[in-house]
Amino acid sequence: MYQPMLFVHWKQARMLLVPFVLAAFALPLLVVQGFGAGDSDVSQEAYRILANYQVWLPYFPMLAASVGAVLALTAWNWDHHLGHIYALSLPVARWEYVMLKMGAGVALALVPTAAMWIGAQLASGSIVMPEGLRAYPNQLAARFFLATLMSYALFFAMGAGTIKTTVWIVSAVLFFFVGGGLIDILLGAFDPTMSDVNVVASTVSWLARAGGPFAVFTGNWTLIDV
Amino acid sequence: MNSAIELSGVSWRAGKSFELTDVSLRVPVGSIYGFLGPNGSGKTTTIRTFLGMLKPDRGDIRVLGKEVPRAMREILACVGYVPERPHVYPALTVAEQVRYHSAFFPTWDRGWADELTNRLQLDPDRKIARMSKGEAGKLLLLLALGQRPSLLVLDEPTDGLDPVVRRDVLATVLDYVGETQATVLISSHLVHELERICDWVGVMDRGRVVTEMPMQHFKNGIKRLRVVGAPVSVPDAPFVVLSRQSDNGAGSTETWIVRGWEPPMSYFIEGVGGTVRDVFDLDLEESFVELLRSSRPTTIRSR
Repeated sequence: MYQPMLFVHWKQARMLLVPFVLAAFALPLLVVQGFGAGDSDVSQEAYRILANYQVWLPYFPMLAASVGAVLALTAWNWDHHLGHIYALSLPVARWEYVMLKMGAGVALALVPTAAMWIGAQLASGSIVMPEGLRAYPNQLAARFFLATLMSYALFFAMGAGTIKTTVWIVSAVLFFFVGGGLIDILLGAFDPTMSDVNVVASTVSWLARAGGPFAVFTGNWTLIDV
Repeated sequence: MNSAIELSGVSWRAGKSFELTDVSLRVPVGSIYGFLGPNGSGKTTTIRTFLGMLKPDRGDIRVLGKEVPRAMREILACVGYVPERPHVYPALTVAEQVRYHSAFFPTWDRGWADELTNRLQLDPDRKIARMSKGEAGKLLLLLALGQRPSLLVLDEPTDGLDPVVRRDVLATVLDYVGETQATVLISSHLVHELERICDWVGVMDRGRVVTEMPMQHFKNGIKRLRVVGAPVSVPDAPFVVLSRQSDNGAGSTETWIVRGWEPPMSYFIEGVGGTVRDVFDLDLEESFVELLRSSRPTTIRSR
């Protein structure tokens, strides 16, 4: 059952995945563009590479999040469109169907990951690495894969519910940001000692810090590092 | 197991707009059961309930002798289902859709499915999104029959199809039933279509089962009578008066629609002061309409 499920997901997602696969391949190459000819001062070259890498850094987690979202939405799109009638008429338990679908998306996430791995390998092989710097193509690809899975799982779970459920979740998140912002303002207005309290920023920081559920997005996306 | 499908006291409510109320029906094993009712009467909802897609608020359901929803997986493995609207993936080709579908059914008969593909003149390379309504209908039938189901549930399978495709679809179903003795529940509002093929009939209206009986009883049991000197009321009548209407407004001659009529019952009417002048057979559609009319609260019922 898994193979046909994978095929159906592939059939639906493939055209949408193409630009993301190309971007995953190209991004590591763009990062090292113009560096590593080995003819300049080593320490300066190392500094320039790392500084340039910082410019490109946000695009890696953004790309992973986008790939996850595309995979999740394409996983459920047809089922939603058909009112889930087909899925429910198949002789398979609901949880099993969901797991098969989830598994198909996980396998598809390997395609852009492979593209990124190849791009990272080519990028790190294309430059003469200044002394003290190392390339981490495998780690970059692994982080990209994990971040994609995180995003995929999140959107997949939202997509698995009804539109009503999704609206509730999105509304709750929006309510949190708006409500949290209002609480921050009110606390600061009524009690100046509380003006440093920032509910929204603290929560986001808690979610994204090491050990938090979104740490994979904010961690060290290094292709080249010391 | 005498019943392929058995619902008792099933109720289900969708907001304030629609509900199934105390639905009980019994589809005998090996029968072709016509499930009649106007649009929006609850046929599709009932089907979805016994196929485990909707969870009823009350009531018991058994399909192929197994309890719903507990044994849903085993049940669905033996059920061929054609929903009222195509439910298959539009970007796949016929062959891809068949391959996908067959992976879920351990009893899928590839040779039989290939035979059906040829018989129904389906192009395996044709994309579903580009198929006509007739072709899509044939594909759904192929998917429903390919696993050689012991129960076939067809929800408005010929709705919107041209007569040629309609005939192909029904002929394929009848051939299959003739060969395998499978049970078929076929829902439709096209009464004439069911008249020819069904041996049982159930009628639904406004979320309730109005009646269910063998087709022969349904066809022969509902009559139009012209009664002269009609009594004001007929308590303890051996038949059911579905409706009665004065022919000339004065009340001496009336037209009655009755259910469960047998010729000797004219003596009963004579016994209460009336005379049966004429008895007319109703065709299935007229019977169906009269039955629905009598079941609705605005209708003039027997006094």
